[in-house]
Amino acid sequence: MLWYKAWRESQARFLLSAGTIAGLCVAFVVFHREGAPVADHAQTYAEYIWRIVYKGYLRELFVLLALLLGVGGLLRERDYGTAPFTLALPVSRWHLLAVRAAVGIVEVTILSLLPAVILPALSPLMGEVYPWSQAWQFGLLWSIGGAFLFSMGFLASIFFAGEYTAAVVAVLAMLSYSVAVELPVVERYVPDVHDLMSGVGMPYFRLDTYHLVGPLPWTTLGGLLLLVGSSFALAGRLTQRQDF
Amino acid sequence: MPHSLVIETHELSKRYGSFEAVRSLNLRVSGQRITGFLGRNGAGKSTTIKMLLGMTHPTSGTGTILGQPIDDNKANREARRQIAYVGEDKQLYGYMTVEQLVRFTKSFYADWLPDIEKRLLKQYQLPLDRKVKALSKGMRTKLALLLAFARRPELLILDEPSEGLDPVSMEELLQTLVSAAADGTAVFFSSHQIAEVERVAEQVCMLDHGNLVADLSLDHMRQEYRRITAGFRSEPSPERFHIPGVQHMHARGRQVTFVATQNAETVVALVRSMEPVSVEVTPISLREVFLETVKEGT
Repeated sequence: MLWYKAWRESQARFLLSAGTIAGLCVAFVVFHREGAPVADHAQTYAEYIWRIVYKGYLRELFVLLALLLGVGGLLRERDYGTAPFTLALPVSRWHLLAVRAAVGIVEVTILSLLPAVILPALSPLMGEVYPWSQAWQFGLLWSIGGAFLFSMGFLASIFFAGEYTAAVVAVLAMLSYSVAVELPVVERYVPDVHDLMSGVGMPYFRLDTYHLVGPLPWTTLGGLLLLVGSSFALAGRLTQRQDF
Repeated sequence: MPHSLVIETHELSKRYGSFEAVRSLNLRVSGQRITGFLGRNGAGKSTTIKMLLGMTHPTSGTGTILGQPIDDNKANREARRQIAYVGEDKQLYGYMTVEQLVRFTKSFYADWLPDIEKRLLKQYQLPLDRKVKALSKGMRTKLALLLAFARRPELLILDEPSEGLDPVSMEELLQTLVSAAADGTAVFFSSHQIAEVERVAEQVCMLDHGNLVADLSLDHMRQEYRRITAGFRSEPSPERFHIPGVQHMHARGRQVTFVATQNAETVVALVRSMEPVSVEVTPISLREVFLETVKEGT
C-alpha cells in the first residue's frame, strides 16, 4: 500500500504534467504548419519536431516537470503534520523512500515516452511521418535524463521542507548545473543532460537530417543511472539520520 | 507473552542546539495498565514519545519499547507492529477518503479487527467517502482513534488524544481506554486534561522541563497523599519540617502547608508534637499534586 500512498501524493502533479505534455505534442503536430519556428531555410518535418519538441519548449518543460515530480517526501510530510503517522507505520524509512523513488521514476518514464507514442502515431493523420525508432530513442534518452533530474528534486526535498522551497532549490540547482556544464573545464568530465536528451553536439545525432544515428551513449547513460542511484542512496542515508 | 515493562528508558536525553527538550529521563511504564503522561506544553512529552517510536534520535541515553531497543531501526520497526499510536496533531493524509485511509492503514497490521472497525465507523459517524481534509478537527481525531483502536496492539500510545473531542466523545474515548487495558493492552497517554488522566490512569508520570519529576501510582496517591496545613503561635523554622515523606512545603508567616506522600498519620503526629494552634489534614487531588510539582520545578 505504500505504492498507493506514493502514487496518490504525486498523482495530481503527474496527471497535470502528462496532460500538458500530451496536449502540447498533439498541438505541435496538428498545428505544425502554423507553428513552425523561424529558420533561414525550408524546414523538414523532422527538423520541426526536433526544434520544438526534443530541443525546444517541450524538453525545457519536461526538465521542469521531472524536477518537480521529485519534490516531496518525509520533510514535506513533517510540514503537513503527517510524518508521525507515516513513521509510526511498521515500515523503514528506506522502504518509504525506495517506493517514492520507484513511483517517481515510473512517472518520469511515462512522461518521457508520451512524445514517443504521440508524435509517430499522430503525424500520419496530418500527412507527415515521424519514425517510431527516432521517437523511442529520444524517449529512452529522456527517460534517463528525466530520472537524473527527478533525483535532483528528490535530493533537494531531503534538505528543504517547505512546499515551494525544495522546488525552488531544485530549479536553482538545475540552473547552476546547466551553467556549470557549459564551462570547458567541467564539460570534459560531467555530461550535459540537456545536450544528451536533445542530441545537440553529440556524435549520435546528425544536424543535417535531425535524426539520431549510430549507437546511443550507453556508457554516459549508465553513468547517469549510477548517479541517480547514488542520489537515492544518499537521500536514504540522510533521511535515516533526520528527526521528525 | 506480554511484556511486564512496555517502556523503559535510561538517562534518555534530547537536545536541540542549546535547548534540552528531554533530560536524563528514566522512565518505566508497566504493561497491561493505563499510564498517564502529564506535563505542561513543551515539557518534552511529545519528544519522548517520538524517541520511543524511532521518529527522533536521542542525543544520549538508551531505551526499550516492548523489549526492543529504540535506537535500533529494525528492532523498533518490529516493535511498531505491536504498537498503535495517535499523534499530537492527528494530521492524516488529506488526499485520501476515510475508506481509503482505513484500507491503507489496515494493510500494515495483522492484528486488525474488522468488527471493531465497523463498530467505530458507525459510532463515530465517519463518512466513508469524505476526503480526510474535509473532516472537522473532531472527526479527524475520531478517525485517528479508530485507526488505533481497530487493532489489538500490545501498547497503545496516545499523544493528547482528547484534543478536539466533544464531552460525549471524550467519555467514549475514556471508556475505550479502560476496556483496551482490560483486554491486556498497555495504554500510555499524554494529556493536559488532568481530570481525564485521574479518572482512568493507574500510574502517572510527570514531566517538567524535560525532567521526570514524579512517577506515582494513583491508588497510592489517593490512599497516602495528604495536604497538611498547620498554624503556629510563632513563625516556625522550616528546617523542622524536613521530615521523610514531606514535599512541597510552603511557609507563610505562622502557617505551614505541605504534602505528606507517605505515613501521613506519623507526619501529623510529629506536627502535633510541635504544639500547633491548628492542624488540618485533607486529601489531595492529582491536579494539586501536578501543580505543586511543576511549580517547584519553575
